[in-house]
Amino acid sequence: MRRTFGTWMWLLAAPLGLFLLAFLAYPIAYAIKLALTDPLTQAFPSVSNVRLIVHDSLFWQALWGNIILPIASVALELAAGLGLAVVMAARFPGRRLLRLVVIVPFALPEIVFLAIMRSVFAPRGYANAALAAAGAPPVEWLLPGRALTFLTVVVVDAWHVTPVVFLMVLAALAALPNEIDEAAQLDGAGMLARFFCITLPLLRPALFAAVLLRGLDAMRMFATPLVLAGVEGAPVLSTYAYHQWSDYGNDGAAAAAASGLALLCTLVTLLLLRRRVLT
Amino acid sequence: MRGLRVALASLALLWGCRPPAKTLTIAIALLPSELPAYRAVLADFERDSGLRVVVVPQQYADIRRALAAEAVAGGGTLDLVELDVYSLSAAARYVAPLDAAALGPASDALDPQALRAGRIDGLRFLPHRIAWQALIYNQAVLEKPPATWEELLAVARSHPGQVGLKGALYEGLTCDLLPFVWAAGGSGEVLDDAGARAAFAFFAELAPYLNPQSQTFKESTVAEAMARGEIVLHLNWPFVMSLYASQGLAPQTIRSAPLPAGPHGRATVLGGGYIAVPRSAPHPEAALRLARYLVSYPAQRRFARQLGWFSARRDVAVPGSSELLAGFIEMRGQVRPRPERPDYQRLSRLWQQAFRSVVFAHADPGDTLQAAQRDLTGQ
Repeated sequence: MRRTFGTWMWLLAAPLGLFLLAFLAYPIAYAIKLALTDPLTQAFPSVSNVRLIVHDSLFWQALWGNIILPIASVALELAAGLGLAVVMAARFPGRRLLRLVVIVPFALPEIVFLAIMRSVFAPRGYANAALAAAGAPPVEWLLPGRALTFLTVVVVDAWHVTPVVFLMVLAALAALPNEIDEAAQLDGAGMLARFFCITLPLLRPALFAAVLLRGLDAMRMFATPLVLAGVEGAPVLSTYAYHQWSDYGNDGAAAAAASGLALLCTLVTLLLLRRRVLT
Repeated sequence: MRGLRVALASLALLWGCRPPAKTLTIAIALLPSELPAYRAVLADFERDSGLRVVVVPQQYADIRRALAAEAVAGGGTLDLVELDVYSLSAAARYVAPLDAAALGPASDALDPQALRAGRIDGLRFLPHRIAWQALIYNQAVLEKPPATWEELLAVARSHPGQVGLKGALYEGLTCDLLPFVWAAGGSGEVLDDAGARAAFAFFAELAPYLNPQSQTFKESTVAEAMARGEIVLHLNWPFVMSLYASQGLAPQTIRSAPLPAGPHGRATVLGGGYIAVPRSAPHPEAALRLARYLVSYPAQRRFARQLGWFSARRDVAVPGSSELLAGFIEMRGQVRPRPERPDYQRLSRLWQQAFRSVVFAHADPGDTLQAAQRDLTGQ
């Protein structure tokens, strides 16, 4: 009986196993093979692709960008999402409509949202038109390698994805018991004290979940920096891999960069798991 | 009567069950608007040869990947492919050498420079269409285009921020910078020869007056900036003149001119698409026959007239109005292929990085080029 159950168990798991093998394990193994194959001689194993990218200053800028952009973006999303959720949790007229307005950027298809943002921050875009109307000189929002370019990308990304954090925190706020807050209020605690000493600690699991979810997602950031600022504007590893693949047809270097990104994501996930954030 | 009906029905059945005509599959980088005219040219070949040709319009990068995948698999469906001239060295191992004798007089009519670019360990690629860059300028602002480097610098100084170069990190940047290196006597293969140093010293002088968006400009974006009036001149391919003409901007406002001459004259980079027979082609002989037809006079003349392509055949004139393409026509004798070497893409990237360091990060031209050359030679 036990044996029959075991056989059935394996049979039922087989489709999933085959799916994972075909669409996860094989592509990963192939990408690693591609990364370790010399593009000129086709020799395997070879570190020529790795050597090529580590000698490329754009790769290091992309690696740096892959650390800076997710941290800045998630920090901003967390602050904005938390602030909006706290405000929107209160009862006031028109709050449903306002919640809808907050969620709209996330509801828009990414490419549509980014095309709009590109028009806003282009040299002759809406942002500079507004500055000109106010008598201020135009600003180059998206010139490669500048801090302002990174900031623009961070703000746009946060604008697009803050609704995710907002919804997570709003749901957590709705689940908080009112009694604790009322008791603290009776004890004379002010609004700020209640927020920092009661609400925020109780929201910690939801905030950790938001950081984990958005942090890992932000590390794979691709469309936002690419559409807004091109390959060199605010480079990250995914745009660098795309650049090697698309502009140079160098599949091996692209695979090496993509493997680097996968390794980075895995390390961060392991680090977070080790710190028991998930639990 | 009944017997006749049976015989006719049997004949119809036999006709319907006849083996299908041999089908050739070709992957060509065509725009959707170009496909009908291209198919019309192929129809003549199909009629004469009895072969059927299936055209798969794809981007160059996708064609190269499909070619590589079929080569690795050891078989496939592609009989003929078109590749961007700059990726020929990388793709050479996937295509079969062409028998010059089998090509007949077709290869004799082709421009030797264009044909040379297709020789990698023997002739492997035939120029299907070629292109080269010229100076595109706003005649409403600049009455006369700059004819020399000195005049170009003078225009840049008098119109600061209005000279554009394609400075994004990609092959287009190499196409913009190599003409300057060649015009200064450089080889294009050595990063720190005297010509390269002279060209980069000139770039350093030009840098303060370039449009800041040059850091991100590519073919289409620099052309759009010119259409918006943000820049007064740039280097580009002939397709932009058709674009400007369709917008009513050319040849009245925007015109083409030869590239400014340097100390050693002028030169421009050869671009375009080359056809080749994959090693894994299912019908190599028929594919060679089709290749021969595609570079023949009748086909090339129709491509020039109906699609506006520049032909590598010396007996096919540059299409379109001479006013619109005056600069391109004048540059025809100065077209040079990019360095032919297996590691060309690496060399090209080093040129691009050196340019960006000198022009946008204001690094010293001599030191930058020396470091790039050391990087190339692995010293």
